Parts: sequence; C-alpha cells; structure tokens
Amino acid sequence: MTDQPAPHPVTGLDDVVHQRVRLGILTVAHQARRVEFGFLRTALGLTAGNLSQHLAVLEKAGLVEIEKGYEGKRARTWLSLTPAGDRALQDEVTQLKRLIHQIEQGSSAPES
Amino acid sequence: MADASVPSPGTPHEVLAGLGDLTRRVRAAQRGAWFPLLLLGVLTLGGILVSRFTFKVETVPCPATAPAAGTGCTQVTQVTQGSPVYWPIGLALAYAATAFFYIRRSRNRGVGTPVRPYILTGIALVGLVTATEIWSIRQGMPQPGAPIDFWGLHLDPASGVTAFLHRLTGNATAVGLPLLVLAWVERSRTLLLLTAVYLAIELVPLTTGWAGIPFTSHWSAVPRYGVPGVLLLLGALGFALAELSRQRDVS
Repeated sequence: MTDQPAPHPVTGLDDVVHQRVRLGILTVAHQARRVEFGFLRTALGLTAGNLSQHLAVLEKAGLVEIEKGYEGKRARTWLSLTPAGDRALQDEVTQLKRLIHQIEQGSSAPES
Repeated sequence: MADASVPSPGTPHEVLAGLGDLTRRVRAAQRGAWFPLLLLGVLTLGGILVSRFTFKVETVPCPATAPAAGTGCTQVTQVTQGSPVYWPIGLALAYAATAFFYIRRSRNRGVGTPVRPYILTGIALVGLVTATEIWSIRQGMPQPGAPIDFWGLHLDPASGVTAFLHRLTGNATAVGLPLLVLAWVERSRTLLLLTAVYLAIELVPLTTGWAGIPFTSHWSAVPRYGVPGVLLLLGALGFALAELSRQRDVS
C-alpha cells in the first residue's frame, strides 16, 4: 500500500463559491444573517443585473434562499444563507487558509 | 464595472483580506449601540429623581446613655429611597424599545440585526433582579447582627460580601452583563471597554462623602446614579458621533 499525498488545497475550492463576486455575496450574507438586495448591491458595488445573475447561480446551487415581498408599496428582495451555503463559505475560507499556509511553507523551504 | 468592494482576484491573502474588509463594513452598518446607551443613561439619571422623591429617614429618640439624651436629639435608624417598580419597568421598556429600534433600522438599512442575544439576556436578567428584589422586600429589613438567608447563603448584613452581592444583583447584572453581550454581538472593543468601566463603577462602593453630600440628604443618590448615568450618556454621544462620521465618509 502506497501513501497517497494529501490533495492540494486548490482541488477543494468550489467554482461556484470561489468566484469573487459570489464569495462576496456569501460573506455579506453570513455576517448580516439576512440582507436586502439594495444593501448587497451597494456593498459590493455591482449593477442590479450583474448581482441578479450571481444570485441566480447561488440559488440554483442551493447556497442562498431568496425571499421577495413588499414593505408598504416598495418591493424588497431579501436573501439569507442556507446551511449548505454556510458550510460552503466555511470550506472556502478553510481551503484559502490552507493554501496560504502551503505557499508560506513552500517559500520558506530550502530548494533541493 | 470595476470596483474595490468585491474581494480582489489576487492571492489567497488578498482574497481573505477583502472578505475581512467586507465583514467589517457589514458590522459597521449593523451597529447602533448609541441608542441603548442613551436610554440606559437617561434611565440611570432618572434614578436620582426617583430616589429624591421616595427618600425617607426613620429616626428614634437618642438612647438614655447617649451624651445628648434628654435634649430632644434623634438618631437615624434607617434611610430608604427608590421605588421597587422603577428599575424593572424602566429596564423592560428600555429593552423593548431597543429591540424595536434595531428591527426598524435593520429594515431601513437592508441588513439583518444580531441584537437578539442582547435583548433576551437583558430581559432574563431584569426578571432575575426583580425576583431578587421582591424576595428582599418580602423578607423585610433584617435586625442588626441577624444573618440573611439568601438561597442557602447565611449573609451578615453588615459584611462587605453582602454589600458586594447587593451591588452585583442590581444594575451591574441588569444593565452591565447585557452590555457585555452587546459588545460581543457587535464585535466592538470600544463598547467592551466602556462596559468594563461601567461594571467597575457599579461594583465599587461609591460613598457620598467625596461629593460633599451626607447620606441623610435627599440627594444622596446623586453619586450612585450620576456617575454611571453620565458615563452611559458620554458613551452614547461617542458612538453616535462615530456613526455620523462613518455615514459622512460613505456618502
């Protein structure tokens, strides 16, 4: 039996989550618990169309829940992380930290 | 559209730093500690007026062995002040108003609020402090030297430990501990520091002598409520100014 080398952290990065705008959306939703479309758009500096596209990807992947409603006459869209979205964000951050660790170890190791 | 808000597509270090920056901005939008501090400060200063108008001194004639006996002198046996309903009702209303404030702000700003643990802790502790107060009212004032049986503890009314427990089961618990929870949910070191100072003031015995007010004065509650009340109001002012300056920077 041969020892399998540990998989490189980049193999653990999920393409849906790793995209920078979607990573930003998940981060804001994680901290805010529940966040409104307008706040997200301003916080991330995106256009409404661009943000909607990314939200559709995250919703399809089951990472966020989108809730549409009215407050008075004003239409509002709120989103929150699903448990899967919360886990996906934690995994992404863990993989990024492992990657940093690996890079730092690699740069300090002597060349053979 | 290029912008600096989305995590930069650079090294993992830069991505994590970008996420940290986003998190800090969301936290800044969620904070609103000036409001509960303002309410608690006003409530604490209101305690001075309540104590003033409920102030009562009980006296008895000097004993026959006293040097001034027979000259009509009297001796103070007990000073009572404060209303048993002011703090429980005032604090419960303050916590309810704070919950309303945060929920309304959350809707207006479009970002969720983490304030629930603060409100729940506050209301639970107000209930506990009220239960303790009702218990002490039902027990009545102990005779000098008689021990107080409090939840299995045999306390000497004249001891420092009893005095400390009395201060601990007052505003230190009903106001200070929930503020610690608020500092934690808002991840605010400044609020944590302010709360630590508040707790120190509440737990350290503040006598009236330094303020030149005798304990038999109608205004003897001024140092006890004035110092923490002013601290809370100064904290409210500081947080409100910081929030205004942050809003000015964003717009």
